[in-house]
Amino acid sequence: MSSRKGRNEAARVVREQLARERRRKRTLWTSVAAVAVLVIAGLIGWSIYSSQRSDGYTAPTGANDAGTGVVAGSGPVTVDIYEDFICPACQQFEQASGATIDQLISEGKVRVVYHPVAYLDRFSTTKYSTRSSAASGCAAEGGKYREYAKALFEKQPPEGGAGLSDDQLVDIAAGVGLDRDGFASCLREGTFKAWTEHVTEEASKAGISGTPTILVNGQQVADRSPEGLRAAVEAAGK
Amino acid sequence: MTLSSERAARWPTVRPWLGVAARLGLATVWLVAGGTKVGDLAASGRAVNAYQILPYDVATVVGAALPFVELALGVLLLLGLATRLAAGFSAALLVVFVAGIASAWSRGLSIDCGCFGSGGQLAAGQSPNYGPEILRDLGFLALAGFLLIWPRTPLSVDGALAGENTLEDVDE
Repeated sequence: MSSRKGRNEAARVVREQLARERRRKRTLWTSVAAVAVLVIAGLIGWSIYSSQRSDGYTAPTGANDAGTGVVAGSGPVTVDIYEDFICPACQQFEQASGATIDQLISEGKVRVVYHPVAYLDRFSTTKYSTRSSAASGCAAEGGKYREYAKALFEKQPPEGGAGLSDDQLVDIAAGVGLDRDGFASCLREGTFKAWTEHVTEEASKAGISGTPTILVNGQQVADRSPEGLRAAVEAAGK
Repeated sequence: MTLSSERAARWPTVRPWLGVAARLGLATVWLVAGGTKVGDLAASGRAVNAYQILPYDVATVVGAALPFVELALGVLLLLGLATRLAAGFSAALLVVFVAGIASAWSRGLSIDCGCFGSGGQLAAGQSPNYGPEILRDLGFLALAGFLLIWPRTPLSVDGALAGENTLEDVDE
């Protein structure tokens, strides 16, 4: 009697051990599968990002040597302006201080480098930041970056929508005196899309994390008002 | 019956459903976090770079991989597959995020955490929200902690693989 009870006890222990072993194996394999899923997900992200990047770029006429922006003026003090054509604060900066910048250029005090970065692609449904920046490259190629940029800010579309269409971008170009057909084909062929990517990446590398950002001789200017800009340029010119 | 013993008696019936809520809640967090970033991987890289912790090239790789890892974690938790591992990974990731935000805060950076899209420097006049962002992440961390301690929940692949004995071998 007692020996049968002992056998039952032993069988139960064996069964439990087998069940534990099965559980252990199951946990191991689900863990391996889950880790594989996470690693593969990360690799997918990396490979998509790498495949999206362009290899080379062509900078438009009038770009600086590093190809990171369009130059205006040749004064002793360098002013870097990082702007995104869909950014409302950039529009406000253009309206408040754009004329002062133009004045500083014509007075021969500054050399301005405009960096049309595409930081805010997610704020439109059509990547308007990238499209408008590439369009500004086409305008620079025709020697009218500033005129075109001003017109883009004047007609700035709201965030969250589709932005301006390619046709509208061409109309604006024709409106500032650029050759309509040449501009249209430049835009359609995406001639300066890779340049926009280069401008954006280099700005990010330089630690520019938002727009508008204004540097005077490499120093970020907190006060972007006309007076603040003049003061910063005077101080840097000494 | 005292109040506390009554509570103790109710706990075994309530706990699995709290677990489901925690699992689906955390899954939603990851799916939303990954989903808002996945459309613009370059921007995700810039958001990581804005913390000024990693070198630029590393930040772009992390920024590109992160949205997909977040989505994968969301799917694992949604299915309830390898719940304890997914919860552990979630907790580790959240600890890194909290550390990153705290570090940005302590260095006086003025950035958006980039937790759910956007990211990068804030517009003029906007002030950072580091405190609430950290508290929010700690809340998510609590969900992950619950699942780390009690990973077996109803309606999960883990449960189905174990033969749906949800309450029998919860302590494995």
